[in-house]
Amino acid sequence: MRARDLAVPLPTVSRSTRVVEAARILAQQDLPGLVVVDDSGRPLTVLAGTDVLAMAVPRYCINDPALARVVDEAAADVFAHQLGDATVAQALPERYRELPVVDDDATALEIAALMARSRTPLVAVVDDSGALVGGITLDALLERVLAP
Amino acid sequence: MTTLAWVAVAIFTVAYVLIATEKIHRVKVALGGAVLMLLVGATNADEAFFSPEAGIDWNVLFLLLGMMLIVGVLKRTGIFEYVAIWAVKRARGKPFRVMVILVVVTAVASAALDNVTTVLLIAPVTFLVCERLGVAVAPYLIAEAMASNIGGTATLVGDPPNIIIASRADLTYGDFLVHLAPLVVVLMVVFVGLCRVLFRKAFVYRPERVEAIMALDEKEAIRDRRLLVVGLVVLVGVTVAFVLHSVLHLEPSVVALVGGLVLMAASRLDPEDVAREVEWPTLIFFAGLFVMVGALVNTGAIDTVATSAADAAEGRLAWASVGLLWGSAAISGVVDNIPYVATMSPVVAELVAAEGGGEQARSLWWALALGADLGGNATAVGASANVVVLGLAEKAGYKIGFWGFTKYGLVVAFVTIALSTPYVVLRYFVLA
Repeated sequence: MRARDLAVPLPTVSRSTRVVEAARILAQQDLPGLVVVDDSGRPLTVLAGTDVLAMAVPRYCINDPALARVVDEAAADVFAHQLGDATVAQALPERYRELPVVDDDATALEIAALMARSRTPLVAVVDDSGALVGGITLDALLERVLAP
Repeated sequence: MTTLAWVAVAIFTVAYVLIATEKIHRVKVALGGAVLMLLVGATNADEAFFSPEAGIDWNVLFLLLGMMLIVGVLKRTGIFEYVAIWAVKRARGKPFRVMVILVVVTAVASAALDNVTTVLLIAPVTFLVCERLGVAVAPYLIAEAMASNIGGTATLVGDPPNIIIASRADLTYGDFLVHLAPLVVVLMVVFVGLCRVLFRKAFVYRPERVEAIMALDEKEAIRDRRLLVVGLVVLVGVTVAFVLHSVLHLEPSVVALVGGLVLMAASRLDPEDVAREVEWPTLIFFAGLFVMVGALVNTGAIDTVATSAADAAEGRLAWASVGLLWGSAAISGVVDNIPYVATMSPVVAELVAAEGGGEQARSLWWALALGADLGGNATAVGASANVVVLGLAEKAGYKIGFWGFTKYGLVVAFVTIALSTPYVVLRYFVLA
């Protein structure tokens, strides 16, 4: 089993995509993250669902868990409203993680090791020319390797 | 002065400039400077590690370490969030009242703990409260940084310069309470009045927002009641032990360290986790700084400065106090007050000794503390608390900028120093 057998076409975003838009795609298509591509369609990195959350949650609640607790239920329900016009570029972590990209001939073990090491629930698969072939989600990978 | 003394002065000057301009990280500079002093023979291992006058002041280091451990546990209790939100709710959403409450909470907390910790704890609450009130957060953050610098002046542990002064001058926690705390109370009252004027544009009352503040549930901030009780018992115990120095004869460093270790054990938290809260780089910075200053003492450079200062001050002690107050304020406004006070302490110690060491001579110590602590408010880089607040604001998307802080800081520093001047003159000279 190689990466090309596991990869499926997944929606991508660019650095200038609005975070709200990215969040909507994540929610609608039940994805753990999105591949961020440059203008020529090559994968730059992966935007994890938690990166989107970190953007939506007020920083003081991330730094101080006690403050997240004191907010009342009504206000807590609408925390995501402050995403505004923030872009994917702003949501990406300051320090880039190891690029979660594999060649299309990578084995399942290689992919799993990369996911575990980079703590990314999604890896992008590229062909020899570096063009995006598709993505492999954590769910899909587990399903295949655990299949009897 | 000997050639070696000049070499030591040169090394020190370069290091001081590098620290002030922040071209190189201050820990690297302090350690590098200390190593150079050792290599050129301006000091040696015996002096650097074991001399009470010319070496690392372990009292200061262990007092800081102990307090950092205590804070490391206390900040997990949620007590700051609880008190701040409880108090803000009492202000019923009136912006000026909210600011008064936040600055008073900050000042009191920063008298008991250090300034940077206090602003780190109060800033997140401030973001939340201001967002709920729909008011600009920057004025509140600026006022809190200043309140922490003023409040920290009141006690021995409130501001690192005070810790250095206490150790070098053999002053007790009680001395600080008697000599500085009363003035700080007055300064806080005046500061609150200044806030009303300086930040008048920030007080936009929105009645419809009040409900959003009242809906906050401060009780949720406290999750672990046992941790809270243990934390508060240790903090109160440590403070009482500080105050009872004359009875218990325990050095503040011993009290803080025992308090920190007891709290760490009693909290049942992972010790490694708590130890991560200790700002080890800051402690190393202090150690390097003490070795450098020690080299100046060793080579006689400090002696030379102190002798000429003593000559100039002879018979004019009141003027010397006032001069030290304003001079310290001016310098601390521009450079970090920790290296400044570390350098000045041996000079002031000799001056005080030369003047007989009485109450009037000791006014120099209070002038140094007031100048260094309150002068830190003058500019955005004058005190660590200011730098931290500006950093937090920027991360949250509110850029305050150097002048955004300094235009208020200059006023506050000037007024507080101007009020401290008659205090020093009247208390120690005219009415003495």
